[in-house]
Amino acid sequence: MDLHERQLERQSFTQRSLLVASLLLIFITVILFRTFSLQISNFIEFDKASLNNRTYSVPVQPLRGKILDRNGEVISENIATFDLVTTPKDIKDVNEFLKKIENIINLDKNDIDLYIKNFNSNAFFNRELVLKKNLSEIEIARFEVRGFEHKEAFVGKRFRRVSRYDEIFSHVLGYIGSARENNSDEQNRFRSNSWKDAVFSYANGLIEGKAGLEKTYNQSLTGTFGIKQFEVDARGRLVKELSYTPPINGENILTTLDIDAQKVAANQLGKRKGSIVVVDVETGGIVAIYSYPTFSVNKMANGISQLDYDDLINDPDKPFFDRSVAGRYPPASTIKPLVGIHALNRGQISWTTRINDPGFFELPEDGKIFRSWGEIAHGLINLNQALIRSSNTYFFNLAYNSGINELADDFEKFGFGKTVCVDCILEDGGLVPRPQWKMNNLNFGWFKGDTVNIGIGQGYISATPIQLAHYTAALANKGIKKPLFLNNSLSGQMPSSEIELENFNERDWSLLHKAMESVVESDYGTARRIRDQKDFLIAAKTGTGEIISLDSREEYERIREDQALRDHAIIVAFAPAEKPKYAVSVIIENGESGGSIAGPVALRILKELLKE
Amino acid sequence: MIKKIYLDPYIFVGISLLAMVGVLILFSASEGDATIVFKQSIYVVLGLLLFLLVSQPDPDLYRRFSPLILFGTLVLVFIAYFFGPEINGARRWIRLFGFSFQPSELLKISLPLFLASFLFDKKLPINTKQTAISIFFILACFLSVYIQPDLGTGLLIAASGFLVLFLAGLSWVFIGITIAAFLIFSPFIWNNLLEPFQRDRIWTLFNPESDPYGSGWNIIQSKIAIGSGGFFGKGYGEGSQTHLNFLPETQTDFIFSVLAEEFGFIGVLLLLILYTFILLRTFYLAVNARDRFCRLVIGGFIFTFGFNVMINLAMVIGLIPVVGMPLPFFSRGGTSLLSIFLMFGIITSMSTHKKFIPK
Repeated sequence: MDLHERQLERQSFTQRSLLVASLLLIFITVILFRTFSLQISNFIEFDKASLNNRTYSVPVQPLRGKILDRNGEVISENIATFDLVTTPKDIKDVNEFLKKIENIINLDKNDIDLYIKNFNSNAFFNRELVLKKNLSEIEIARFEVRGFEHKEAFVGKRFRRVSRYDEIFSHVLGYIGSARENNSDEQNRFRSNSWKDAVFSYANGLIEGKAGLEKTYNQSLTGTFGIKQFEVDARGRLVKELSYTPPINGENILTTLDIDAQKVAANQLGKRKGSIVVVDVETGGIVAIYSYPTFSVNKMANGISQLDYDDLINDPDKPFFDRSVAGRYPPASTIKPLVGIHALNRGQISWTTRINDPGFFELPEDGKIFRSWGEIAHGLINLNQALIRSSNTYFFNLAYNSGINELADDFEKFGFGKTVCVDCILEDGGLVPRPQWKMNNLNFGWFKGDTVNIGIGQGYISATPIQLAHYTAALANKGIKKPLFLNNSLSGQMPSSEIELENFNERDWSLLHKAMESVVESDYGTARRIRDQKDFLIAAKTGTGEIISLDSREEYERIREDQALRDHAIIVAFAPAEKPKYAVSVIIENGESGGSIAGPVALRILKELLKE
Repeated sequence: MIKKIYLDPYIFVGISLLAMVGVLILFSASEGDATIVFKQSIYVVLGLLLFLLVSQPDPDLYRRFSPLILFGTLVLVFIAYFFGPEINGARRWIRLFGFSFQPSELLKISLPLFLASFLFDKKLPINTKQTAISIFFILACFLSVYIQPDLGTGLLIAASGFLVLFLAGLSWVFIGITIAAFLIFSPFIWNNLLEPFQRDRIWTLFNPESDPYGSGWNIIQSKIAIGSGGFFGKGYGEGSQTHLNFLPETQTDFIFSVLAEEFGFIGVLLLLILYTFILLRTFYLAVNARDRFCRLVIGGFIFTFGFNVMINLAMVIGLIPVVGMPLPFFSRGGTSLLSIFLMFGIITSMSTHKKFIPK
């Protein structure tokens, strides 16, 4: 190559390498810009992504609030039990470890199999693993003494939901059970997969109220989950704990219930099917509410064998069924004061109006006879006497001379046909029948006789025990109606309303109260059996709910062979009669006599509540 | 006696700094694994000695021996392919005394040396026959690595050869025809020559969110690591993406992300300045080299080095597909490090020896 060529070559090289170098410089600039965009412009986004990568928040379960009676005494609470918890990551040889543990704590094969099955994965992800649940005190003591050998295992406290009164508050209290995931707002605060690592305070994990107060007030009882934040690596292994926000335990619920009254109610009803409801007349608070047969809430909450559960479910007496709020019964003669009010208010009769009671009622239209099997002739009687003796003919008459819609209107004013409790669960509204109802449901027109039957609380009408208690409280309050409730914090929060009765005045109320007092005090009173066992006045009305309609004693004696066909014994009462504090309704299924069977039960409860 | 030590102080300081920072970052990326860092440090020391050693001979020595060097390297590459151990489905290593050695890295040196010695006395522009011969050697070297398989290194070796050819005066007509042909045949290459995982990588680049836990994972986590480093970084050894294993391949392909996470934009800026400084210095040396052979060798070396760095960075910041290419001076790997020192040693030799003019 000559000199010229060399110069050309050098020039060409310089140009070409400048070209490549410029390309590289452009490349460097682009990379610098891109890095600037990642690290400066979009820093916040990537910083968040990095934080999200490395942190893992798990929920920490709060303790449920207690359920207390109106005196602040515990009905339902949380009892600590102890589990043997291990950290598999720190255990080198699982078999050797189990051998060591077995020297102090009995392990059955299921415990060991389950443990070994989950061991490796929990070790890898650095999660705790329960080896044995519900340690006995001896096991705990033995473990604590030799605990220094087992740094990789410790005794963890786990709670159980326990009621101190296993069976007597079952329906009203309800019970807890395993919660399904994603059924509350609370759970949306966490990533869905973090629930599997939640720190549970309860032995049975995520729980929720399944029935009764536990369900109604589940949210405030539950409290707010705390947060435990861990650092995790890319494979989800826990590296270390970063922060801890403790949970806020659930609020206690002070109820209107009275443990002592409830005990007496349960005791008095004994093994008889039925229901007792007691209401605080001044507030509307439910003081006692009991339904039998019942079940064990503690078993329901903390493990019930399939066999026991099947027995409960298949029991023909339906132990889970809350008769107090959902049992439909004929109100029977307990409705008579209301029918009397209805007739007086309409001007149909006055307190002095007398009606002849020959022991039956003959329907003028077709001569059909209305009577009950036990009916005797009372002769010419007024409303006061009719109430005391519980004359059927008198009230057949009143109903006959009114109309079904007029009667139904007044029944509904006293809370029949609709629910009366604001925080009860699965409450039934009973039935106040009207012609339209009969047409829709039975496909039959309304007969005058249907109205006549309703005059004595029989026929199509049905009411729940809680409705009867509510109605009795309204009678005690002389027409002031108060919604019933269980949570004491609702006390005074409920609007009470005066039932509209244009022509029924204070004097009428006094006479009605007097008549109901005489049901107990008079020699002719249907509840006279309880007259001498107390030192305060009770106003009451008994009832005998017929299951089938019969008109002779002989016929009744025949069907009486079948216990399930015997009449229901009912009583409603309030006391003290002069200044009522409590209203009570008692229904004893197939108890036959309101006065002598249900009466003493009501009396005992009122005595318990009114003891000074 | 040694009368003179041939040394370019700028290059020496530049590469020593880079190598030291490299070990520092590797220490963090390997979770303080003493064995890895000790090994790498030994390679750095060996590399510096090698650097000083190869700086001393006159460039003519390299020119004369370049065919032998290329032949020797290829023999080693084939020994690795036929007799070496298979690691992760690839046969590119030779095991010797407990050390693994990757001969294909050396092709980045021997191929440019050979082509430069072949082309240094050819008339401008390079004629078709010379072009064909050059391309034959380039393809031979590329294929010997591609079959291992190691596309990343193969492409880089091919690039080093083409760079020498281009700098030596490859005809623009040929360049134009090649580019046109590439554009025409690229659909064919996409469908028939690329492996499915390679297509995945390219596809993922444009839409990493389409498969966040599969092929998109690496690039997403790398971007999070770099982005969350912010301006000052999370601090040395404090990178959560690195140390909690969200970032993949921290010791090799994605080591830049470690630096970016822990030292932030400041660290990235300083690193780019250092690389740019070395590029500019060697560019200066190339342009002022004593003869055409030296120019071509320095140019081929340094631009290959430059592209290697840029491709790695562009890859980890999500600008181009992940091709598996280490970052010079940083990624773990002895052969790669030694060959870089070797390369800079030869550059020093070529830029410090004055032309001996006889007569």
